[in-house]
Amino acid sequence: MFAKLKKKIAEETAVAQRPGGATRIPRSVSKESVASMGADSGDDFASDGSSSREDLSSQLLRRNEQIRKLEARLSDYAEQVRNLQKIKEKLEIALEKHQDSSMRKFQEQNETFQANRAKMAEGLALALARKDQEWSEKMDQLEKEKNILTAQLQEMKNQSMNLFQRRDEMDELEGFQQQELSKIKHMLLKKEESLGKMEQELEARTRELSRTQEELMNSNQMSSDLSQKLEELQRHYSTLEEQRDHVIASKTGAESKITALEQKEQELQALIQQLSIDLQKVTAETQEKEDVITHLQEKVASLEKRLEQNLSGEEHLQELLKEKTLAEQNLEDTRQQLLAARSSQAKAINTLETRVRELEQTLQASEEQLQQSKGIVAAQETQIQELAAANQESSHVQQQALALEQQFLERTQALEAQIVALERTRAADQTTAEQGMRQLEQENAALKECRNEYERSLQNHQFELKKLKEEWSQREIVSVAMAQALEEVRKQREEFQQQAANLTAIIDEKEQNLREKTEVLLQKEQEILQLERGHNSALLQIHQLQAELEALRTLKAEEAAVVAEQEDLLRLRGPLQAEALSVNESHVTSRAMQDPVFQLPTAGRTPNGEVGAMDLTQLQKEKQDLEQQLLEKNKTIKQMQQRMLELRKTLQKELKIRPDNELFEVREKPGPEMANMAPSVTNNTDLTDAREINFEYLKHVVLKFMSCRESEAFHLIKAVSVLLNFSQEEENMLKETLEYKMSWFGSKPAPKGSIRPSISNPRIPWS
Amino acid sequence: GGFFSSIFSSLFGTREMRILILGLDGAGKTTILYRLQVGEVVTTIPTIGFNVETVTYKNLKFQVWDLGGQTSIRPYWRCYYSNTDAVIYVVDSCDRDRIGISKSELVAMLEEEELRKAILVVFANKQDMEQAMTSSEMANSLGLPALKDRKWQIFKTSATKGTGLDEAMEWLVETLKSRQ
Repeated sequence: MFAKLKKKIAEETAVAQRPGGATRIPRSVSKESVASMGADSGDDFASDGSSSREDLSSQLLRRNEQIRKLEARLSDYAEQVRNLQKIKEKLEIALEKHQDSSMRKFQEQNETFQANRAKMAEGLALALARKDQEWSEKMDQLEKEKNILTAQLQEMKNQSMNLFQRRDEMDELEGFQQQELSKIKHMLLKKEESLGKMEQELEARTRELSRTQEELMNSNQMSSDLSQKLEELQRHYSTLEEQRDHVIASKTGAESKITALEQKEQELQALIQQLSIDLQKVTAETQEKEDVITHLQEKVASLEKRLEQNLSGEEHLQELLKEKTLAEQNLEDTRQQLLAARSSQAKAINTLETRVRELEQTLQASEEQLQQSKGIVAAQETQIQELAAANQESSHVQQQALALEQQFLERTQALEAQIVALERTRAADQTTAEQGMRQLEQENAALKECRNEYERSLQNHQFELKKLKEEWSQREIVSVAMAQALEEVRKQREEFQQQAANLTAIIDEKEQNLREKTEVLLQKEQEILQLERGHNSALLQIHQLQAELEALRTLKAEEAAVVAEQEDLLRLRGPLQAEALSVNESHVTSRAMQDPVFQLPTAGRTPNGEVGAMDLTQLQKEKQDLEQQLLEKNKTIKQMQQRMLELRKTLQKELKIRPDNELFEVREKPGPEMANMAPSVTNNTDLTDAREINFEYLKHVVLKFMSCRESEAFHLIKAVSVLLNFSQEEENMLKETLEYKMSWFGSKPAPKGSIRPSISNPRIPWS
Repeated sequence: GGFFSSIFSSLFGTREMRILILGLDGAGKTTILYRLQVGEVVTTIPTIGFNVETVTYKNLKFQVWDLGGQTSIRPYWRCYYSNTDAVIYVVDSCDRDRIGISKSELVAMLEEEELRKAILVVFANKQDMEQAMTSSEMANSLGLPALKDRKWQIFKTSATKGTGLDEAMEWLVETLKSRQ
């Protein structure tokens, strides 16, 4: 049992760095040890009656020896501690002195520096204020000038704007002018075209005219021919008239003859008529006589009848017979006369008939002559008629010629009138065009004048501009001068700044000095700290030793419970402590070898036997100190125990979830963790081993990973991969898929064949 | 993904700042987280795992991770270190006994390469308690003055009273802004 325990202790101390080591303490014992550490006293004994007493006694003896040795070591340690404290006190005194002196120096330097700085600051401030004033004055002047210049510039700009406007207007006017000119040109061209047309017409007309004149000439020739013909015809006519006069004279002769003949005829006819009247008278007288005869015969017949019928009336018959005898005598006388008239008539008729015959003969001759002359006259008349027709024709022709002439004249007159009209219109056009031209020229002249005026004004403006530019350049020169002045001032300022920089450099130097001093101070403090640390470590070692001692005590108590009757408690404690001290000695020596600070006290270490020579009171004081330290250490031990309890609680929580067979491993944890607590910085190596505890943590992380936003989940990938022991590939895959989910575009990362949930190679099983 | 997300973040300007709240168990990390988020004191239980919340402060969005501080799960802090802008390290001002552990954890954490550029804010929490340590005391015992190449600041806070949190956050925001 003891051997086992010893082995275990040795292993624990040796493998303290390896947490979760293979050592296993029986459940009950570990529980007890934890409980005992939690409790104040180590008087609880676990009963175990499986070991023999002889073994125990020999072991107890050995233990006693060990305890003695340990006590000797303890005293050694006590002395070391005392030496260390002395050194510490000395160092503290030196440190205080040093601190005081450095503080004084520092304060002095600080005061002097402050004074210097104040003086400097004042001087600089005064200089700066003066400069500032000067500058502000200069700036004011400059600004005034700038304002004036800007005003002038504004004016200039306005003027130039006006100028530009005028130029624009001029340009516009010129444009208008050109437009007008082009219009006029266009009109002129048109007019010229029309003129050309007119001229062409005129030429056509003149050609016509010449043609008509030619015709006229022809017709004149014709008319002259005709007049010649007419003259000829007139001559012919006159000859014909002469002939006619002749003929008429002959005709009048013939007519006079005819009239004479006709007179004769009329005489003859008058004779004939007288004769016929005589004849008729004669016949009328005969008839009357016959009528009277017939009447008388009737009366004779009527009277005879009456004589026969009425013989009474013989006186009347005698008178009627006397009248008859008188009418028969008258009848006989008339018959005779008649016979005589008849005879005379017959004679006159005969003479007349002879004469008529003669006349008829002459008449027939004259009639023949007349007929001849009539034929001549008829021929002449036909001739005359022909001539008259010719005359008429010629007159007609003359009339036609005249009409033609008149027509031509009229046409020529009309044409001439047209020409005149055309010329007039042309002249009018020309005059109008000339007028237009004149107007345009006038306008042009006016515009040119305008332009000249504008140019003059432009020149004036340019001149003004030049003037202003000159002014501007002057101003610029002034401003350059000012800038130079400014630069000078700036240089001065720079000089001041340099001075200030120098001053600050001085200040810096001072500060550096100060810093150096403070560094020295810090170094001193560090030294002190190191010393304190050495002290602390020594104390800690002591404490550890005591803790071990206590552990050993508990063990001893256990043993004592077994061999309660044999051994005294007090006697037991001694050897146990000695044993623990012997174990710790190796630690201390190794420490002493490592730590240079520690070497001093080890060198000056006094042997254990000399402790007795020391003053008892001093020893008691030291003892008290040590006891105080022990109390403090006990406090820390208590805190450690509290922490252990916490850990145990969490462990127990997890143990509730764990299956029972894992309990031991988990239970073991607190031991090595306690050993590791002093440098409790959690290493990476812890992660893999401590995972058993963190099932709840894993659960929480996975839950959050699945429920939270993608941007948050992205940060959880690493935690999840560490907790679930993902490979790098698996982690990358997770990252890619999350990035795909987070981004708005992009393609889903293809699941690679190599990355599968790692079921094939389960690295380390979960428990 | 990283490329696009960088484009995305450059498009929308304000990236969420990632802040870790670390510290030993019972230091008051969860209480501080919810005090920052909702401004109230909530009753908490020991965090087995972590809490993550989005906190908006002065138009800056923070993704605040409160990681459980129990000894068994402290080793897993390092899984969360990547892309962290700032670390709020919470220390119990009354827990004089465990300040050494707190220091060693802090030192180990600050040695991590992934947190090389992270800003450190130490909350000396539970200042409302009577036996609380002063901030200078705590700074010294945490070894803060020895830190080099690290922006750090310590603030006296009380999560239950709500004191000191605002100025600490103010400083953090300013420092993060100036660093950008």
